[in-house]
Amino acid sequence: MLKKILVQDAVGETLSHDITEIRPGEFKGAAFRKGHTVCDEDICHLQKLGKNHLYLINLDKDEIHENQAASILANGLAGTGITWKDDPKEGKICLHAESDGLLVVNKANLASFNMIDEVMCASLHSYTLVKKGQQVAATRAIPLVMKRTPVERAAAIAQQNGGTVSVHQLKNSNVGIVITGNEVFNGLIKDKFAPILHKKIEDLGSSVSGIKFAPDDVALIKQAIEKHKDNGCDLILLSGGMSVDPDDVTRKGISQAGATEMNYGAAALPGAMFMVAYIDKTPLIGVPACGLHHKVTVLDLILPRVLIGEHIGKKELAFIGHGGLCMDCPECVHPHCPFGKGM
Amino acid sequence: MESFESLLEESAKVHGHLCPGQVVGVRMALLGCRLIGLDNPKSREQIKKLLVYVEMDRCTADAVAYVTGVKLGRRSLKFMDYGIMAATFLNLDTGSSYRILSTEESRELSDIYAPEVSGKGARQIIAYEKMPDSVLFRVQKVHVKISELDMPGPTKQKIECSRCGQIVRDGREVEENGQILCKPCSGKCYFSHAREISWPGMDWSPLSGKNGKSIPDYRKSVALG
Repeated sequence: MLKKILVQDAVGETLSHDITEIRPGEFKGAAFRKGHTVCDEDICHLQKLGKNHLYLINLDKDEIHENQAASILANGLAGTGITWKDDPKEGKICLHAESDGLLVVNKANLASFNMIDEVMCASLHSYTLVKKGQQVAATRAIPLVMKRTPVERAAAIAQQNGGTVSVHQLKNSNVGIVITGNEVFNGLIKDKFAPILHKKIEDLGSSVSGIKFAPDDVALIKQAIEKHKDNGCDLILLSGGMSVDPDDVTRKGISQAGATEMNYGAAALPGAMFMVAYIDKTPLIGVPACGLHHKVTVLDLILPRVLIGEHIGKKELAFIGHGGLCMDCPECVHPHCPFGKGM
Repeated sequence: MESFESLLEESAKVHGHLCPGQVVGVRMALLGCRLIGLDNPKSREQIKKLLVYVEMDRCTADAVAYVTGVKLGRRSLKFMDYGIMAATFLNLDTGSSYRILSTEESRELSDIYAPEVSGKGARQIIAYEKMPDSVLFRVQKVHVKISELDMPGPTKQKIECSRCGQIVRDGREVEENGQILCKPCSGKCYFSHAREISWPGMDWSPLSGKNGKSIPDYRKSVALG
């Protein structure tokens, strides 16, 4: 229960919540923290902050303070790889990445959570690469005092399926690269694909254990895949030959190598002729030639997900369609752009 | 209790079609029974322990009735015409009762839970199967005051309408100006202009004469008013 008193009558009373001060362009934060005892000198400052009244809180049995609510909510939201401090500021708790990794947001949990009245959580986009300590989400109860039941229900919803926000560390994979194409294999042109793929793989913390070159020949592509498998590669990237021309046989090579699942075509541009296949549990990624030209393609959206062990099927390649169109800016600012974030 | 899948399949068969309301109803009944401590409500041991109040006459009500085995004719199913997607499950042994409400937000959330399914109805069916109980429902612990006249079992009371002589069972009569009336005589009923008629084939019974058992041809039997 809340009791409203005049700020002039508040001397000696304890503040029941943080009081925020905003000085545009200069400061935003708590001018007074919850628990502060109001003294004579505070009155003028409070009035300058637009506070002519203050609330005194007398909690009923079934009510909780916003700070306690925030901590119940944060506990429900936090999945694996998330840290948070039970020290709400202005009623809000921030959730941080425990390590470098890929942020995964359970969007159904998040939406269900936010449909509960008077609680909220905002997060970064799912599948954002984050650094250790980076803030990935924040939550708060909106009113100063809430009934306990809806807070607990919201937390239960958030906790489903391992929590709402998680940060997964990327595996250190041994990646085999197969560069296909007669033009490269026969030395007509110099390969430029391997260094690009090599950098992308190393930037994500994995290593390239071997690069093999194959002409547009089903049997030789198959053989290159098998050699990488035999050498212990747990991820294989194949470049070129992913299009629809008669010489493009990389997909056939993957199939002949014993693919148990093949998903061709991604709802992203650049990168529509992308493929994710599996030989048993080993993923194979077919990168179309656009990867040579564009700095960022569908590979950059999918590779981190493969490296956290997510299974990429038809659905995953289809759902990137909304927001899957690169704006092809003269100066690329990815990942600080909408590409791949509309799912 | 049978599996969710088989309960849903059978419930949809009895109801006539599979729809989102069936999924909600089956899940509502499973949760209701769980909360009041019944694991096999249709069994001989438990069937008399349960009362269910449904607050809507929609697909969900049929699914709740199917899963729990409650029936209007057994007085274990009570229809409260509130137009609310909710039902209350009462354990007559323990007195514990919970009212389960289907959340409005679950309809909005279907798009997020099952975006891979096209078509609103089909999407809701899958989404309602995926959603946790906490998203699909809100639950209230409630107290249900039940009159002896509403309990299952034999008729407890019969009284004659002082105007038409109709027998009225279990306290459903109305008192007006000191007179005991049945609801039709009191005017507080769903029909009006009642006028008794005779009708073609009115001598038929399943065991009667040469036309016995076969039901009279409806084309020759339409009452002309």
